[in-house]
Amino acid sequence: MIAWSRMKTLLTGCALILAANAVALLGVAHNRSDADSSLRLNQRELRAPYAWRATSENSGISLTLHWQMPMAKEGDTRYGNPAWLDETKLAALGFRLPAQDGAAAAKQRSKAVLLVLELDGPARELALQRLRQRKTNEEALLAANPGKKEFENRAKLAQNRLAQEENGNSRLYLIDAGLDHGTLRTQYPDRARYAIIRGTVRPSVVKRDNDERLIGTVGSLSSRQINVPREFQHVLSKRPEAERQPGNPQYQFEVAFGQRLEPWIVSAMASP
Amino acid sequence: MTTPNRTEAQQHADDILVFRRELARLEQDGVLALTELQRQALAAHHDALLAQYAQTFDIDRDQRGKQLSLGMRIVSSLGALALAASVFFLFYQFWGWFTPGAQVALLLTAALGSFGATIWVQHKDASGYFTKLTAMIAFACFALNLTMLGQIFNITPSDTVFIVLAAYALLLAYACHLRQMLAAGLLCVTAFLSARTGVFCGLYWLNFGERPENFFPAAVLLFTIPLLIRHDRFARFDATYRTFALLTLFLPMLVLANWGSLSYLPLDRSLVQGIYQVLGFAFSAGFIWLGARRGWNEVINAGFTFFVIFLYTKFFGWWWDVMPKYLFFLLLGLSALLLLMVLKRLRAAALTLFGGGSQ
Repeated sequence: MIAWSRMKTLLTGCALILAANAVALLGVAHNRSDADSSLRLNQRELRAPYAWRATSENSGISLTLHWQMPMAKEGDTRYGNPAWLDETKLAALGFRLPAQDGAAAAKQRSKAVLLVLELDGPARELALQRLRQRKTNEEALLAANPGKKEFENRAKLAQNRLAQEENGNSRLYLIDAGLDHGTLRTQYPDRARYAIIRGTVRPSVVKRDNDERLIGTVGSLSSRQINVPREFQHVLSKRPEAERQPGNPQYQFEVAFGQRLEPWIVSAMASP
Repeated sequence: MTTPNRTEAQQHADDILVFRRELARLEQDGVLALTELQRQALAAHHDALLAQYAQTFDIDRDQRGKQLSLGMRIVSSLGALALAASVFFLFYQFWGWFTPGAQVALLLTAALGSFGATIWVQHKDASGYFTKLTAMIAFACFALNLTMLGQIFNITPSDTVFIVLAAYALLLAYACHLRQMLAAGLLCVTAFLSARTGVFCGLYWLNFGERPENFFPAAVLLFTIPLLIRHDRFARFDATYRTFALLTLFLPMLVLANWGSLSYLPLDRSLVQGIYQVLGFAFSAGFIWLGARRGWNEVINAGFTFFVIFLYTKFFGWWWDVMPKYLFFLLLGLSALLLLMVLKRLRAAALTLFGGGSQ
């Protein structure tokens, strides 16, 4: 009786372990059976952790997905709330927004939604246009106020910001959110430019000039960390600065987002 | 006579030792005198029982053995934690050098191997210390298995991982009679149920902690289980259920009594706080009564602890800013004296009511 009981425990435990692994791996197989989108990303979008090989405690490596928000007209809000995530969009995402009661609306917590990432598309082009315009304006101001330190600094800042956007910042822009994958895919059919991923959105209230405004903020992306399998890790090995062509990417990966919108690295291209 | 488990055997051995001491006192005072034959028969019977228990369950046969056992329990718990951490760091140290297939194979082998080892060690280890150690490693291996699968294949995090881990921990707990594993399982059950409650109420599952009320269904379930399922064969399992149930009830209640804005209730913040303060006092007093009535020491202790915490939190809110500190702490001290007097009266009343104590 005791031996049977022990055997039963052993079988139950093994079945549980095997079933959990099988379910997880079947999910992975389903996700990778067909890519929903496939983007070619480089070090601007996929950042390696600082000095990852130097930390001997973890031999694995995950790249962090970086993205930007479309800038609002009046200024630079790359890391704040996206301009398109307004009250109308929040209502469309299923948030209950009681009229005249922003605080009650903001009391609602995060909600899981689908987010659309655009690679090097109109959102980035618009951002570049605005930065170029800003640089032109600042240079005109400097020309009108020659020798003044304040205007020199402002012109330099605008120039640096433009250079950073052209050569350093992520080209991925978070441009839309929705609840239905089919609707979003119909709206953004280019699978090499638009990736749909899972994330969270929450409402909050901002006070500006005695005016309360309800806005939405993007909380998190569910797959922000992308594991680099061993076969692609050599691409990340840094080469001496002198060997690299200016403007060329240090590394480039083909990243696919599958049926469950989970990403994986399909191929890697080393810097030329 | 039914076959005892380790706890029952230890309890029986302790009773024998107490009996022997009392018998010696009675004989010394001339109250009782056994014949030499009776004395020898009694000693032989007890010695045989103690020897059998020691061989089967590795029980403590005297006070010194008990003290050493306490040390062994502490060492085995610390060792289990250290070894579990070691498994995690060992994998992290080398996993990057393997292909995904090899990584999965390693994780699976570690999970299955450590589980098999736990069942084997349990068969060999009468004391239970080594079983606890290997069970903790087995749990760490399985948790690592599931976590790393998510990391290797960039799987979207899901709350179902908690229920799988809970099932595994509870299997180890019941198969090996391990309260540590039961605690791990109950924590996972609480996390799963709270996440599901949050999702049901419209939250993203990872944010379930933002609304403390999400924990209440788990508290109800944990408190109900030992009422529906008897745990006679599992020493102090029912007490562990009740302890976790009360922690899962009172901690969120305490948070809501101080930060009403976190509540689901569509009411003013201060009103929500007031409601949960009243509920905190009412429930803690109720559980003190219930614990005394049913002889559940852990329920009485939890009830008292949270009653005092609710009371002192209220005192802090009322008086900390308006009173000199010496007066504030004097009032705390006086309230403690008042509580002691009330408890003393309650104790006397309970002794009368329940006929000399509980259990």
